[in-house]
Amino acid sequence: MPGHYIDVPVSGTAVTDSLRKVFILRPGDSAQDISIEARAGSVTDITLVILPGVSADLTVNVDFTGEGASLRLAGLYVCGSSEKVSVRTVVRHRVPFCTSDQIFTGIAGGTSRVSFNGTIIVAPGAQKTEAYQQSRNILLSRDAKVSTEPQLEIYADDVKCSHGATAGSLSEDELFYMRSRGIPESEAKVLQLISFLSPVLASLPDPDAVASELEAAIRSIVQR
Amino acid sequence: MSRELLKISGLHAAVEGKEILHGIDLEIKPGEIHAVMGPNGAGKSTLSAVLAGKPQYTVTEGSIEFLGRDLLAMSPEQRSWAGIFLSFQYPIEIPGVSITSFMKTAINSKRAAEGLEPLKGADFLKLMREKMAFVKMKPEFAKREVNVGFSGGEKKRNEIFQMAMLDPVLSILDETDSGLDVDALKIVAEGVNALRSPSKSAIIITHYQKLLDYVEPDVVHVLKAGKIVRTGGREIVDIIETQGFDSF
Repeated sequence: MPGHYIDVPVSGTAVTDSLRKVFILRPGDSAQDISIEARAGSVTDITLVILPGVSADLTVNVDFTGEGASLRLAGLYVCGSSEKVSVRTVVRHRVPFCTSDQIFTGIAGGTSRVSFNGTIIVAPGAQKTEAYQQSRNILLSRDAKVSTEPQLEIYADDVKCSHGATAGSLSEDELFYMRSRGIPESEAKVLQLISFLSPVLASLPDPDAVASELEAAIRSIVQR
Repeated sequence: MSRELLKISGLHAAVEGKEILHGIDLEIKPGEIHAVMGPNGAGKSTLSAVLAGKPQYTVTEGSIEFLGRDLLAMSPEQRSWAGIFLSFQYPIEIPGVSITSFMKTAINSKRAAEGLEPLKGADFLKLMREKMAFVKMKPEFAKREVNVGFSGGEKKRNEIFQMAMLDPVLSILDETDSGLDVDALKIVAEGVNALRSPSKSAIIITHYQKLLDYVEPDVVHVLKAGKIVRTGGREIVDIIETQGFDSF
């Protein structure tokens, strides 16, 4: 799907104004580390989509080197068989007045292994930093494993930082609500998983195109 | 002469290993509106959950027949297709799913179960618009995520909207009146009254008489500690209003 998989390497990219990129990894694609220097006043928006059938091990490095810069880093992964997905993010706030917001959502089924390791470093003097990180996961099978590891190293005192990590299963109440409206159980599961991924899906430039590809992938996992 | 739409016989039901309903008998004929009233913890929500087939609830004894079929053998979605609708006391939020796409999935699932083609886009939107106007829901709600950021009244209105869309044979309103102001209450009542027909029935489950000021029930039951302790007419509502549930 042209326009969705962006294969321009951004490693070592220095962002001076704004950068918006979506990386979609499909089976056969190889993952590349991403490394970004966010300069003063820049706006960076990166979304990572890892589709079923992809095993990947990658690191996203972002260094804030100029004041007043912002970063949104979103990721989603859907694993349905025996994938191994490992994502590390390292966000370094070296200077004051920068904002970073990370959200990663994942679905792990089959015997897949998913790990997310998110490090936020706020350097001494990087006051007024705002750094947020969320990692939310749904486990679809007993044999799948998710490990999520936030790491905050904060050396400044006037900052706002938070992180949250969840790993749960499908909500029975939500499924029952949908089924009581006549939506069959398997379709209700698909809908709930799409709903779960929606905070990241919403940040895609053309959510519908990727959403329908994801929906088909999720449907085949649920019906397996 | 008309045979029962719903026939509950000797129903015992439990949740998390604890029995809540201790032998319920209840018969509803086509066209009737029944009110089930009772204090907190009487088993009102358990009754509605069992009727709609909530998986966490187990029926340990008894039977339920709906239009002559064994309701307990049916999944929640099959019950919906057969014409049962439950208006939730606490409607669930579904982020990222619009009311339009939620209802389209619901309607077309039912059609698929009946061997029908999906509704055409234009026909579906016409139906949506008609039913939204019917419950006085603003058109922009069609694009809103299901129940996300809705006020209590908006959530209940959305339940009545879904009820109107799905056009059920038996509507079960579980505490639909709780937390509603008078205006929202009237809209719910109008919805229920407008869907009244000789072939359709409703169960209004409530703690208060509020909704019953606007919807006239044919039969009133008092549910207490998992049993129906009194069945009668409108006069029971008045007794509850003046004396509470202690007199039963």
